[in-house]
Amino acid sequence: MNLTKHDPETEMEMDMTPMIDVVFLLIIFFMVITDMSQQDLEDLTLPMAIHATKDTPDPKKFRPVVNIDINGLIKIKRQEYFDPDEPDDYKKLREHLSDVARQMEPDEDDPTLPGDALLIRCDETTPFKHVQKVMEQCGYKGVQIWKLELAVSVPEKPKDQE
Amino acid sequence: MSQLKEIAAEESKLDMTPMIDVTFLLLIFFMCTLKFKTLEGKLAAYLPKDVGVNQSEAEPIEKVEILVQVIEEGTRYMPLKADLVPWDGESKRWVYGSDRRIRYTVGPMRTFDLGELKTRIADMRIVGGESRPATIDPRKGITYSDVAKVLDVALSAEYREITFVGSDEKQ
Repeated sequence: MNLTKHDPETEMEMDMTPMIDVVFLLIIFFMVITDMSQQDLEDLTLPMAIHATKDTPDPKKFRPVVNIDINGLIKIKRQEYFDPDEPDDYKKLREHLSDVARQMEPDEDDPTLPGDALLIRCDETTPFKHVQKVMEQCGYKGVQIWKLELAVSVPEKPKDQE
Repeated sequence: MSQLKEIAAEESKLDMTPMIDVTFLLLIFFMCTLKFKTLEGKLAAYLPKDVGVNQSEAEPIEKVEILVQVIEEGTRYMPLKADLVPWDGESKRWVYGSDRRIRYTVGPMRTFDLGELKTRIADMRIVGGESRPATIDPRKGITYSDVAKVLDVALSAEYREITFVGSDEKQ
């Protein structure tokens, strides 16, 4: 029984360096893997489509996204823009869309219209009427966004465009 | 000299505990916020460009209009379950079962089958050597995934200009 002679002080002097090294490596790994540009994509179950083009946004380029959940709640950059409990209050969304339209590059054929596409992301069972409402807002004077992209999920092995 | 050595030795014994604490907190933060990047796709579509701008301009080519209607809503099931559990009426999400029936109407043709719709609209695409645009007209009760399927079919039938029409809740 040598326990009494055991000095607790010596045990405290454990070498921390390898552990700190590993922890720093882990932090760097997670920092690299966390893509902050994906933050404006809400967690939704998208429908599957075979002929979709892959979505590879340029992180430097401005890209407007509208998320609509199963109940019609519209979220843009984690902020609520339309609450289905307050029907027909689309003012906030319309103001946002007209801001968005102003930031877009003008269309090549008709410079009076915005030329970029608005990405609409919905849950697979979101009633389409909510999307139609957003489309309606896009048609207003001062907005006039006419290019859309509907977000879908692609199968594991995407079929090549025929 | 011996005093100096003592001071140096003392300085090297820097207290690491707060740094390790902070480091661990950072580590936990990044682990929690991590959401694995999922590959998403997108389907391109357009809105009628000329709404309220100029109505005088005549449509040069007739569009292929695809009417999408719900004939049977279908049973709602709980999502993310291996076996089909009927929706409890409270859960935030649901999915429709295979008994959901959607009717697609293109001109005089009516079908419930997406493959048939594809062949039909593929035949109609070229008129007088020019590619026709398509419009999708979703009616009451149609969900986002129903529209995505039609859009997918229209894109596979090589339609390049697909617009959405109808904003009211027609039956």
